[in-house]
This record gives sequence, structure tokens and C-alpha cells, in this order.
Amino acid sequence: MGVEARKELPVLGHEKDGSPGFLLGKLDELVNWARYGSLWPLPFGTACCAIEFMAVASSDRDLARFGMERQAWSPRQADVLICAGRVTYKMAPVLRRVWDQMPQPKWAISMGACASSGGVFDVYSMVQGIDTIIPVDVYVPGCPPRPEGLMYAILLLQEKIKGESLRNAALRHEDPAKVGRPNLPPEVIEQVALPFGNSTSQNRVSGLVSTGALARPEDRVS
Amino acid sequence: MGKDFKEALEGLESGPAASDAGAEAPRGPEADPSSHPSVAALREAFGDAIVHHEVMAGDEHVVFVRPERCKEILRWLHDTPEHRYDLLLDVTAVDFGGGRPLQLVYQLWSVPHKRGLRVKAELPLDALEAESVVDVWPGANWLEREAYDMFGIVFRGHPDLRRILMPENYAEGYPLRKDFPLRGRFSRAEQTRRALMLDMESDYAPHELAVARRVAEREAMASNTQTGGA
Repeated sequence: MGVEARKELPVLGHEKDGSPGFLLGKLDELVNWARYGSLWPLPFGTACCAIEFMAVASSDRDLARFGMERQAWSPRQADVLICAGRVTYKMAPVLRRVWDQMPQPKWAISMGACASSGGVFDVYSMVQGIDTIIPVDVYVPGCPPRPEGLMYAILLLQEKIKGESLRNAALRHEDPAKVGRPNLPPEVIEQVALPFGNSTSQNRVSGLVSTGALARPEDRVS
Repeated sequence: MGKDFKEALEGLESGPAASDAGAEAPRGPEADPSSHPSVAALREAFGDAIVHHEVMAGDEHVVFVRPERCKEILRWLHDTPEHRYDLLLDVTAVDFGGGRPLQLVYQLWSVPHKRGLRVKAELPLDALEAESVVDVWPGANWLEREAYDMFGIVFRGHPDLRRILMPENYAEGYPLRKDFPLRGRFSRAEQTRRALMLDMESDYAPHELAVARRVAEREAMASNTQTGGA
């Protein structure tokens, strides 16, 4: 898996004086060229990974040269959501609503161990991977990843976009019934969440003392 | 102070007591009440409502009080000019597990007298209730909400006792209790489902929602006037 050098669009036709006049190519290639060359990122920064994202966006690494000239601070104008940092269950509905507000075509990059798998936070309050909430295209390992890691993920995402086709209607189709719902079925969420983390000796069944009823019955929402 | 600090460190190395160590929460030896001016005055004013006084880590004075008189004592510490604990640094709690009582902790600081004092009240697990001190220190509002959210202590008289860190629809209990499983009580799938069910507006305080309602009403009124005039 690697990143190839970009191929120029083929120029086939010329005017009589020899100047380039028109070009022939596949519509998919033209559309994909426009899409991968102007990805506007929506930084969903919740923790230390967002600091590394800032390093990518600043002048040293210069995110703008990949077409990410402008960061979209509104989901309405964003193409790729970069989730940088740990996401709590309290933040999960916010992430899902931001994702639902982004118009198609849209992609997601999960940056860092916490966003991708929960990381070391295998605890009661933490989402075990944002792919349980929203579909993810590229995962970046690292805690936090180096700026080069995120840049590599962006290049990989561009490669992925180059392989898309307009004829594949399912690719950009969104089921309205899934808005605000988990991205994965419950049994898959259980599978991806259980074997990881540093607390495998802890579970919900063994060795527990029951606390009994909650202090205020109205706290329990069925 | 050096020697005491070393003793405290050695205590840390021996580790926490086992959960079945008995029904008594760990306590240090009774300290000399004259070593802290407020403790001597408290003993005089409240007598046997002051259960215990100890010194931790060199110069941290801890006073254990009866929970039913806790608020009265705290108000006295706040109002009396010779003590004037005008800054409430923290309200929190400690659960030692093993069925032992839960300790409610008030960390006080007196800005004019440059003195600190820690007040503890031991609450039995079947009566996790205390008087709210929001009317004494308004800053106690969110601190008590946190203690309620994490330990389930109900503060009577609190103006807005809701969860503050966990989502409003959280129903798995109180996460900082010793008997709370690290991963929570529900399955990950159920936790994810409930998280996405959360009504995000429930995170706002009632007065913030009231502002939003007023703005909506004003806009509705303005549009009514416009259509009525046209």
C-alpha cells in the first residue's frame, strides 16, 4: 500500500494552432479529481491529537498544499471529518449530529488510538472507537500520531476517492432511518469493544457488590 | 514536617487497606487541638459534634464532624470573623469500600487568615444525604452536583441538583463508588444506543433554556406583527 505520484488528466485534443483546446477523459476521473483536490476538513478535536492536527494545518506541514486550503468550521461546508481525540458517550450524539449535518460526498478520518479504538480508556464513559457511531474511511494509529501520520492518512484518503465511481449509487447513499443511530449493529459493537483494553480482568458479572436502588428513582430513564 | 511527611509516604507504600478490613474507615491518631486555632474554637463551640481531629501529611488539619450538624458548623466557620473561611476549594467524597461509611469532604481556605481546614462528615451508605451549602458558598453549586453525580450523595436544598459530568439519561449508577465496575453496568452496545438517544438540550440549565424560549417567543411575536401589518 503506497501513495503514487499524481497523473495529470489526459489532454487529447488541440486547436489548429497547436494550443490545448479540449480534453477527453472519464467523468469519474474528472469528478474525483475535483473532489480529492479540494477536501475541506472539519476538525473535530477533543484532545491531544487536535494539537498534532494544528501542527499539520500550520505552515511547517502546510495542509493547504493537499487542497485543504480552508478548514470548514461548519459541517455544512465540510467534506472530511477528522476526529482527533477521545470521544465520550456524552459527546457521541454531538459527533453523530455533526456527521449527519455534513452533505454528501463526505468522508471521515479517525485520528489516534482513542478515536479509533478507545485507546487506554476502556472505561464506563468512553466510546470504544468512533466507527460504532459514524462510518470511518481511514484510521491513523498513534498516541498521538505524528503530523506525518495524519498527512499520510489524507493522501490515502485521496487515493481512495480516486477509486470511486458515480455509477455506484450505494456509495453516496444515506438511509434517512439511520440518522442519529449507531453505525454498527449491537452485536458488532460488543465484538469490537470487548477484547481490548487494560481492564480485561474487570467485567460486569463477577465479583460485584450490588449498590441497590439509585438514590433518586427519577434518575432512571427506561 | 519532614518526619511526618516521611511517615505519610511509608503509609502510601504499604498500600490501601483490603476491602474487608472492617467497618471502620482509616483514621489517624487524635491531634492536639491547640495546633490549629479553628479546631480549638470548634471544640469549644460545638463540643461532641466534633468527632475527631487529625493531621495529615504534616500540616493538613482534618476535622470529622457529625453529619447532622455539618452545615451548622460550616456556616459558623464561614461567618465567624476570627476564622472567616470564605473560600470553598472543593466538595468531594471518598468511598473506602467494604461497606464502610462514605466520607463527605469540604476543603476550606480562609483568605484573610491564610489558613486551611478540611472538614469531613461520615455518611452511612443507607443515608447518603447532606444539607446543601450553596447558600453559604454559591460556588458549592457545581461541586455538589459533581459529588451527587459521582457518588450519589443527595444535597437537600440544592437549587438544581442534576448530573453534571455524566449525561442526563445516565442510569448505570454512580461511577466513583468502589462497587462500580470500571466499564459500567450496561453492555457497550446499550451504552452506545443510550448515548445517541440523549437529548442534547437537557445539558443546558433551566435558565439557559428559558433564554432560548424567550428569544423564540420574541421572534414569533415579531413575525406575527409583520404579517399582521402587511
